[in-house]
Amino acid sequence: MILTAWLPVVLYAAAAAAYLVNFARKNARAGRAATALLAGGVLAHTFLIGMQTMEAGYAPLVGTTAAVSAFVWLLGLAYLYVELTTDERAMGLFVTILLAGLAVLPALHPALEPRPALLRSPLFTLHIVSVLFAYASFALACVLGVTYVLLFKEIKAKHLGFFYDRLPSLQTLDVMNGRAVVVGWIFLTCGLAIGGIWASQLHAVVDPHVQSMNVGDPKILIAVLSWAMYSFALFARRTIGWTGRRAAWLSAIGFAIVLLNFLPVGYFLTRSHNF
Amino acid sequence: MKLVAVGVSHRTAPVELREAVDFSRAGLDAAVSALASRNVAREAVVVSTCNRAEIYAASDADAAGDVCARFIAEYHALPWDRVAPHIFMLRGADAARHLFRVAAGLDSLVVGEPQILGQVKDAFAAATGVKHTGALTNRLFNTAFTVGKRVRSETGLGEGAVSVSYAAIALARKIFRDLKGLNVLILGAGEMAELTGVHLQAQQVKQITIASRTLATAEALATQLGGRAVPWSALSSALTAADIVVTATGATEPVLTRAGIEESMRPRRGRPLFIIDIALPRDVEPDAGSLGQVFLYNIDDLQAIVQENMARRTAELERAERIVNEELGRFTSWMQSREIVPTVIALRQRFETIRQSELQRLEPKMAGLPPEARARLDEITHLIIEKLLLTPTEQLKAINDETMAVAYADAVNKLFSLGAEEPPQAADADRKRTERVS
Repeated sequence: MILTAWLPVVLYAAAAAAYLVNFARKNARAGRAATALLAGGVLAHTFLIGMQTMEAGYAPLVGTTAAVSAFVWLLGLAYLYVELTTDERAMGLFVTILLAGLAVLPALHPALEPRPALLRSPLFTLHIVSVLFAYASFALACVLGVTYVLLFKEIKAKHLGFFYDRLPSLQTLDVMNGRAVVVGWIFLTCGLAIGGIWASQLHAVVDPHVQSMNVGDPKILIAVLSWAMYSFALFARRTIGWTGRRAAWLSAIGFAIVLLNFLPVGYFLTRSHNF
Repeated sequence: MKLVAVGVSHRTAPVELREAVDFSRAGLDAAVSALASRNVAREAVVVSTCNRAEIYAASDADAAGDVCARFIAEYHALPWDRVAPHIFMLRGADAARHLFRVAAGLDSLVVGEPQILGQVKDAFAAATGVKHTGALTNRLFNTAFTVGKRVRSETGLGEGAVSVSYAAIALARKIFRDLKGLNVLILGAGEMAELTGVHLQAQQVKQITIASRTLATAEALATQLGGRAVPWSALSSALTAADIVVTATGATEPVLTRAGIEESMRPRRGRPLFIIDIALPRDVEPDAGSLGQVFLYNIDDLQAIVQENMARRTAELERAERIVNEELGRFTSWMQSREIVPTVIALRQRFETIRQSELQRLEPKMAGLPPEARARLDEITHLIIEKLLLTPTEQLKAINDETMAVAYADAVNKLFSLGAEEPPQAADADRKRTERVS
């Protein structure tokens, strides 16, 4: 079990190393190897999550660690989809570093949390999956934004070098960033709405978690804040022309908030989401 | 079979002569067929571009090189005296090295230009089409393609624009996804404006707009480029609509100010603007480049990029030459192992003939033996020969030095008199048997 728990981490890290070689040396063979390793990692991860589901009888989504695992899996899948449809590997390095880093958490704590009776609802699974998918989209948007800024700075400084040779055009990065934010925003909106409906259904249940399910809880508060942030990013892009560098910064800050909410707040601060 | 390369290139001949001996006009396959009809080379490929006309031939005849050289003049109906001083001729490994360097773009006028590999491929395809290639040219050209591909993917030899206009277009491609849907505004209607306009038109931009102080000159250039002309007073609205602006006026004061550009950026909603200022003195206020989505490059910036790219290409030369040498080493050892092959085959045949003749000679004495014993005898004699020949065969095939290979081949030929029809001893031993068998 320990071996299967670490296998995805090892494969993600190997993929990151191969993406690095592909990026730094522009080596096409390393690029293909990287994609294969990442696909292998996602496959091993799928197997792991499948085993856990069989073992527990429910999808392993209870608790922050399990959610991180599911997030990594979704992000890996989403990135693979983007890479295969756009034939653009430059983002792989940044994404796999994030994957390998985050996948360490579930590998360190492979034991599943028992599912409290409270969470036995299809709405719970829907809520978690939509929110995690939104986070995966925002992670991609963040990577696209960061690379946009790196390339932008090189072109502005008239010193064409490392990133100029390796990244797609600014407009491509900007358009992809915009799409990722739209997809993420739709899923976050659904996830939050489902969460709200589900919480109102639980209204009568006497449980400290349920009592904390209001905007005063840090996890819920920051989630609503990040929704507001991405809503602004969408609005700004469409109406006042905040594209390019501004949009890139917004998506980087947005994902920083998402990560803050996901990890420190999820582990230590929330009273409503600490199962 | 020996390899020879003859021809003229930009290193040996002036452009007038290169134009006169261009084989591609009448088709490379026609040229190869014409050469084939002279029956001098069993395999030949004609490579012809605007910078070279070269023949790669494989032939047993030593005169093949000279015949091919004269063919270049005769095919184009040129006097030999005019062509002769510019002909180069390379043999064996030198010929192969030359082709590999050509395919890699190392011998090109602009080092590292990518078109040449495709031209070499076309040349080979044409020769294959008229069935005038064989084992040697197949291997030679396929190795050349490998060299070209390796140099392209493993070195940065072909990377980075090495002319100002291509540097500008490469930059535009890094800012915008595709140049096809873009609006280009050209300020000025002089020679520089025209030149840039032609380059951008070749990129199939959506619309070229020309603004000049005198509308008539703008209109003249617009007709030439298939664009439209606008009066100077409509400059600010044209600026708002443009994605790429090229400024090439003769004005002494900046025609685009930072304030003016900032004004035009507002309705653009963050759409980037790429300004190429190729005028001297400059047409655009330099601090306009600090505006959010404005990318401002002047002629000096572009020239600096070109120089950087040139320097990078030079740094990559050594790596490219190393790849050429690597593949050349592999190719020549294959070529040399081929040279020794006829000797090895002759040697083995000689041994086998002796064995057969000895078996035949003993035939009357073996008549009483049962079939199994005779089969056994055949097998044992065969094995003895195999074992005796194993080491010499391996040693001969391992020689990878041309002069050594020739020396060894000569020695083996002499020691076993392989050139002769029959070994003298065998002929003496049983003449009657030979007559009976044949």
